[in-house]
Amino acid sequence: MTRDAIKDLILEIIEDIDEDADFDTLESDKPLRDQLDLDSMDFLDIVMELRKRHKLQIPEEDYPELATLDSCVNYLDPLLKDA
Amino acid sequence: MHVPLIIIGGGLSGLAAALRFARFIPDVLILEQHSRLGGLNSYYYRNKRLFETGLHAITNYAEPKDKKAPLNRLLRQLKIKRTELDLHEQNHSEIRFENRESLRFSNDFSQFCKEIELKFPSSYPGFTELVSLVNAYDPFAPAVFISAKKVIQDKLQNDLLTEMLLCPLMYYGSSVENDMDLGQFVIMFRAIFQEGMFRPGGTIKDLLDLLENHYKAYGGEIRTKSSVKQIISENKKVLGVVLESGEEIRCDYMLSTAGSEETFELLGTKSGLKTLPRLGFVETIFEVPPVTKLKKADNNTIIFFNTAAKFNYSSPREAVNFDSGVICMPQNFQNLAPLPYKEIRTTHLASYEHWKKLAEDKPAYELLKDETARHSLSVAEKILGNFAENIVYRDTFTPLTIERFTAKKEGAIYGNPSKIKDGNIGYENLFLAGTDQGFLGIVGAMLSGVSIVNQHILPRI
Repeated sequence: MTRDAIKDLILEIIEDIDEDADFDTLESDKPLRDQLDLDSMDFLDIVMELRKRHKLQIPEEDYPELATLDSCVNYLDPLLKDA
Repeated sequence: MHVPLIIIGGGLSGLAAALRFARFIPDVLILEQHSRLGGLNSYYYRNKRLFETGLHAITNYAEPKDKKAPLNRLLRQLKIKRTELDLHEQNHSEIRFENRESLRFSNDFSQFCKEIELKFPSSYPGFTELVSLVNAYDPFAPAVFISAKKVIQDKLQNDLLTEMLLCPLMYYGSSVENDMDLGQFVIMFRAIFQEGMFRPGGTIKDLLDLLENHYKAYGGEIRTKSSVKQIISENKKVLGVVLESGEEIRCDYMLSTAGSEETFELLGTKSGLKTLPRLGFVETIFEVPPVTKLKKADNNTIIFFNTAAKFNYSSPREAVNFDSGVICMPQNFQNLAPLPYKEIRTTHLASYEHWKKLAEDKPAYELLKDETARHSLSVAEKILGNFAENIVYRDTFTPLTIERFTAKKEGAIYGNPSKIKDGNIGYENLFLAGTDQGFLGIVGAMLSGVSIVNQHILPRI
């Protein structure tokens, strides 16, 4: 999976959580949570969707790696390179 | 048989927990002892129609735009669309302390504030301080018991207003006598006064069916009439359950909504929690034709009333305390389709011990039930106006009825007064959700199930 494809995957998952999420003003290096009105409960959905769709097991201590869109891509890039 | 997750109890907290988990991992098993789902919020058939148990109104109403509101967070977590629920807001409700004062409230909190400003002008500045406190308070942070009554009294300097504010909050969710924990007060104040009440257009059965259908669509399994006899454990780790039928089912994780003491009994041990009196209730349903007019009620959804000099929310010395209670008229929500009947439901505090003593003496038990319904009717008529001659059907639930159908100890719908807020009961892979975790009401119960799955189970599995 390319870095752009990973980015699209994350945005698709977020859109699935909140169909009104506004991506136009989203800054990829700023925390997703602050920009998109996601709470910690919603955040878990991202982790679980990645597991469901790509069999990825993300350990709890790695959750902070998913804070921004950029950090998501950086973290997932090696894990999804063969996906 | 082996499953990743067993959920004990198919009430709303168990169903919501199961649905949340099944969204990601479908192999969940719900074990429900009764033949129907719903727990405290279920239904039964009598006199050729469906009667709801438990459900008066659902608290925590929120507009769709208010994304952080509990109702909307819950629906998002369960992937249920608001339109599937068919929400109807309450008309308006009332706190009526007979011959003293009455306060009207609806889903518009500003109206309630105006009502308090008008009727309790000298307490109003204190009331606004109390609202600021509620807005700033984090009820989910671990804390020791703080007396809500003391905090409110201190702000309002008015016994009557303090009791009037506490009355609906206690009746809709306090397992503690004559006081509430401040955190619980904040949750309930938001849920009832600031957010408000609604109900689904259909019955509780439609809501339960909706949850069940979503859950089954993910591949989840439900077994009704499946009582758990024992939880098998080893060194603070659970391995599975043995059913009454003798069947053994193994699991990786377990969530119990059976109550804290009830769960420890299944484990063959004791909770060690302080034993405090549990609160029992009686409820009577009076069915009348839809044309029945109630002179003093004017389409109220709910009336929380008190007729005594002092509001007393505690386990009564006699079988039932008729001095205070709740009267709910479930057809009085906005834009509901007309029904061929009207219900007036009354609830009062009751003593479990009194009813239990009569359990073996059927005629005496039935007589007390009948007297209770008649007495409750006379109280309701004083508040609503007369309707006795219009009654076409009547039914009464006692603490024993509730205990029998929900397995709640002593029929105490709000469970153990000592709550285990984080659901952690000292086992590696067994957690508690539902009534004894401390979230109450339909939205609260469901959020309880969801949050325990999110916090303890999904991140580890």
